[in-house]
Amino acid sequence: MNKKLKYGLLYAGLTIFLFIVLMPYIWLILTSFKTRVDAFAIPPKIFFKGTLSNYYEAFITKGMLHNLINSIIVMIATVVISMILGLPSAYAFSRFPSRGDRLLSNYLLGTRFTPVVVLALPLYLMMSRMGLLNTYVGIIIAHVAFNLPFVVWMMRGFYDAIPKEIDEAARVDGLGWFHIFLSIDTPLARSGVAATAVFCAINSWNEFLMALILTGRNTTTMPVAIPGLLTPQGTIWGQISAVGTVITIPVLVFAILVQKHMISGMTMGAVK
Amino acid sequence: MKRKKKLSDNSSLALRFHLPTFITLTFVALIPLIYTLRLSFYDFKLSEAGSANRFVGLANYIRLFRDPDFYNSVSKTFIFMFFAVLFEVIIGILLALALNAIPKVKKLFTSLTLIPMMVAPLVIGLMYSFYINPQFGLYTWLVDTLRLPLPTNLTGDSFHSMIIVVIMDIWEWAPYMGLVFLAGLQSIDAQCYEAAKVDGASNTQIFWSVTLPLMRPVITVAVLLRAMETFKEFDKPYILTGGGPGNATEVIDLYTYRQAFVQFKFSYAAAICIILFIVLFLCGMVYQRVAMQGDD
Repeated sequence: MNKKLKYGLLYAGLTIFLFIVLMPYIWLILTSFKTRVDAFAIPPKIFFKGTLSNYYEAFITKGMLHNLINSIIVMIATVVISMILGLPSAYAFSRFPSRGDRLLSNYLLGTRFTPVVVLALPLYLMMSRMGLLNTYVGIIIAHVAFNLPFVVWMMRGFYDAIPKEIDEAARVDGLGWFHIFLSIDTPLARSGVAATAVFCAINSWNEFLMALILTGRNTTTMPVAIPGLLTPQGTIWGQISAVGTVITIPVLVFAILVQKHMISGMTMGAVK
Repeated sequence: MKRKKKLSDNSSLALRFHLPTFITLTFVALIPLIYTLRLSFYDFKLSEAGSANRFVGLANYIRLFRDPDFYNSVSKTFIFMFFAVLFEVIIGILLALALNAIPKVKKLFTSLTLIPMMVAPLVIGLMYSFYINPQFGLYTWLVDTLRLPLPTNLTGDSFHSMIIVVIMDIWEWAPYMGLVFLAGLQSIDAQCYEAAKVDGASNTQIFWSVTLPLMRPVITVAVLLRAMETFKEFDKPYILTGGGPGNATEVIDLYTYRQAFVQFKFSYAAAICIILFIVLFLCGMVYQRVAMQGDD
């Protein structure tokens, strides 16, 4: 009985806690389905007649669809490039320990912990000189710059988890290291690859500062485009909520899919 | 002899695998950083033509160390860091203990806990500015209706602005701390608890003298990581307070951004960037040492 009461209290406590925590977010999602009148109603309406007009207004009329496509292009390119470049290096850290490793990993660490603004300034000036401002190439380079160290750090742990005996067996069969890396160990680490890719995608998708500085009219990603809805004529909260919902929902779905590997990725393997 | 041969063998192999990453990073990170360093010794402002070639030596750094606005942003960053990380750790531990204790539907609760850290920081800023809006925000309405003893115009004065900026960060990262600590809790050997119980320790005693000491490495790693990340704080205060009122919530990244992209004092901003980079690089070394220690 006592134990039941204890668990009851725990569940109740956790539920209330999560409810309070998630309330602003739930409110955002609800607002995105409200008409202008309902959004500002006092007392706030919990039950209302839902509408998709905010989504239509924001994405079709205001052209946010274009920004959505920009975000997708930048995200996919960032993930693909970062993975192609980063996987071999992560593999080498795991499989071929050598004397330069310490230096290399400090080098990586330096780039990993550099605040975005520190890279934003030189990249802005260099890209303006090279004519890369307001191009996809510019923003993709910037996103690769801080995702690449991350890929190497995260994947290194996943490669470490694959037994080395497998490589030895393949070596005996006369396979080259590149072949083993590409067609044996990487497929074996596929859940790690998926988690890393998802993580990269989220980093790029949610990124604001670089995109704010390096993109222009044609290449603006979604996070940068939202503040454009904060107009002097009044803020269109319904549409902002609609865009906010569209930004967050795919991320949540993916995050929950690779949940298991998320934590180890976020602490760069320090916590397993 | 054999060992030596193996190592050099590895080196050339390793080099080939490392090359793509390190060439790329040289172009997208190292060269930009060197460029920033060079820039910081000049006096490049957008407002003055030809200023890009005016060498001023350490003048930017000297000015920086006399700049009250710089000190303001540093102190705001540390205030923000201290309170945000402190509450993230406390709430995180409580959350981890609760999640660890429940026997069922753990997965559902964990998934819900994952939500805040996945919401784009910019969206968090917008979400809060809607939520606490003094005219129609749900928060304001709740406080008024339930007559709660809480302030409503949160972005109106410096004190409450800082509080709300800290709260946004806690909102985003305390659940993350909870999940990290949960992983830490689950890795504690059950024998430790049993031994303590046999010795007749109470639950509170077990928490303070078994759980917490065993959790220390995990907590240290998480605190260091979060502390370093607070130097990257930009999106949320940018959209909610814009660093204001005045410069009450102007953390270091906002200040640097304003110097570089609002006032266009590129060289001065470059000097701040170099200082920031050095500080974080040193923190990163400490982090690496601590994190790797936990690994063994």
